Amino acid sequence: MKNLLILAILSLGIAGSSARAQQVPPQLFSGMDGYTFLPDGTPIPIWGYGWVADGYITLPGPLLSYEQGDFVQLNFSNPSPESHTIHLHGLDVDQANDGVPSTSFLLVTGDETTYEFTAAHSGTFLYHCHVTTTLHLTMGMYGMVLVTRPDMTLYEEGPAYSEDIPLLFSDLAIETNLDPVGSYPFHDIRPDVFMVNGVSGDQLEASDRIVHFEPGQPLALRLGSVAYSLIRCIFPEELNAVCYMSDGRPVPNAFAPDTLDIFPGERFTVLIEPDADWDGHLPCEFWSLADGTLEGTESIHIRDAALEVPNISWDQQNGFPNPANHHIQWSGSKQLTVTVFDARGNFVTTERLEDGVLDVRNWPNGVYIATFPNGSASRFIVTE
Amino acid sequence: MKFVLEAMAVRKVHFIEYFPIMFKTVHHLTHAAVLLAFVLPLQGNTTWAQSELWIMRGTWNTFPDSVPALRLESDSIWTGRNAAISRPADIPSSITVHNTDSLDHLCTLIADASESTLIPAGSSAIIEMPALPLGVHRLGLVDTIGDRLGAVSMVQAGLTELTADEADLFYWNLGDWNTESIWQIDAGDYTGEGESYMPNQFTINEQSYPATTEDPNGAIEVQLGDTCWIAIANHGLMDHVLHFHGFHVLIETSTHHPERIGWSKDTVPIKRGEGMTLRLIANLPGTYPVHNHNLIAVTNAGFYPGGMITHINVQP
Repeated sequence: MKNLLILAILSLGIAGSSARAQQVPPQLFSGMDGYTFLPDGTPIPIWGYGWVADGYITLPGPLLSYEQGDFVQLNFSNPSPESHTIHLHGLDVDQANDGVPSTSFLLVTGDETTYEFTAAHSGTFLYHCHVTTTLHLTMGMYGMVLVTRPDMTLYEEGPAYSEDIPLLFSDLAIETNLDPVGSYPFHDIRPDVFMVNGVSGDQLEASDRIVHFEPGQPLALRLGSVAYSLIRCIFPEELNAVCYMSDGRPVPNAFAPDTLDIFPGERFTVLIEPDADWDGHLPCEFWSLADGTLEGTESIHIRDAALEVPNISWDQQNGFPNPANHHIQWSGSKQLTVTVFDARGNFVTTERLEDGVLDVRNWPNGVYIATFPNGSASRFIVTE
Repeated sequence: MKFVLEAMAVRKVHFIEYFPIMFKTVHHLTHAAVLLAFVLPLQGNTTWAQSELWIMRGTWNTFPDSVPALRLESDSIWTGRNAAISRPADIPSSITVHNTDSLDHLCTLIADASESTLIPAGSSAIIEMPALPLGVHRLGLVDTIGDRLGAVSMVQAGLTELTADEADLFYWNLGDWNTESIWQIDAGDYTGEGESYMPNQFTINEQSYPATTEDPNGAIEVQLGDTCWIAIANHGLMDHVLHFHGFHVLIETSTHHPERIGWSKDTVPIKRGEGMTLRLIANLPGTYPVHNHNLIAVTNAGFYPGGMITHINVQP
């Protein structure tokens, strides 16, 4: 009875604050056992952040969204074997919540904490681990923070827009991620994978990665970088791009960029209002800061939502037999890489399949999700 | 004496040829300094001017290497750090530079590189500076050895007039270095950095973290509510980008990003060769790092933490 009463009081408390949903902790955790996949399907180990409810980490970490004025309590747990922190980059939090081991605190293995701050300014921000930053960030421990306004203006008396498009630039050095312990000295880390929102190359052409617009409805590109390189975005004229903000503040002189350079840690908010029927790319170049060489170009596909979606072959989505008790096969591909998660989102396996056949003998019964490098996915069931 | 110096300035004759012998050896330097201390007040600029700089050679003790170094010292005493000099904005001025090195060097106001002044080994010269707009302007040696061994500094034009208290003006000379190249430069077989440039040291005022946090000119020590200014010059071969924890800063002057004057930023790119002035309002108590957000530039010889990191300490 007493327990019920406490529960009731707690529920009231939660109900009372539900108007500011961000306060109810969706808990973030840090992990060191994740994978990301190169466009050719090769799995690369990552460290990173994920939602506790999901149980897995992602590259980049989950987008943290708050409303301007929110008092944020960000609950964070660390079940991973090393210490980590969260540095809230650009949010000007106080020393205790700054996420720097030497001036704030470390979250050791098995510990849990709550970072607190007020999201005073709207805009684009970042978060990342500040423990041995060069290594932990390179390994994937970063994400974006958006602070927005309910009236869908960029800032007080700023321009209105219809949708936020987070675009976080980053890179990774395969050798470092394969052997983080052997990655010293850090100054010769040379990234070889260049990413937008954690993917690169053809992966950016997956249907859910393409940026769709409706004519007359401005999109807010939330551009930020944690790459080693200088990012140079080249805006096609048809996007009608105007840069309004940098580093979570309005710029006094909004300008129409032909190219926009984004240095590591910088952010820009650019409104685009593309011409009707436009279907094209926003090229983003990665330039070495050390010697000025062009290291890679990644292109963000932007398309009028009214345009007919090109036919995509869904052959490999449906495996058979399903349910399976011995093997499941996806047709349409001789060589196929599949990544399987269980129903709770836990990583099960990544395999390169010969003739599309995955052996599921001795797998626990249950529902699994198979994902493929082109972004498609399917469910299958394993029975005895 | 006064007549001679002024006449040389007018004629743009830059060598003090009249007593070169005195500058030949370190032994004679004290003698020369005494003489100049007598001569220079006659020039006028006494209230705001650091009127002299000394090109000095010494050793930069860095981890794990100790490499030869050149500096523009504020006195004929080796500290290993370049002096910053102040001048009012919009008024022409000059600086006398004594070359105590065994090599000749070329010195100039780098933004105004049309004319550089040869200062033979053991000699001195007056560098004439035009009226400089408010802000930070690079000054230093432009011969390869002088530049890449680190005799590079800044002129702060009009900045002391902005601050009520000189203690609220800080400066950061930014540098990136490859210590192997420094040995090659010193040995005279340097062929340039090019596309293989891989710096292994990153400095603020010729020091790397953690020594940077002990630098009274670079580590920001202020009281809550204070406004302070930071004069920045990028002398490296790379663009650099500084991230401020705890604060946004206002860009007050910039030689390479004039369109960004008035922007409030927490992550500030400073292009190669750029001079910039930032204003910071210390409205949050505590200790906060400021660091390069290029992740290789926060290492010393590849080890983290190091390089271009300092801190802001705001006393409540």
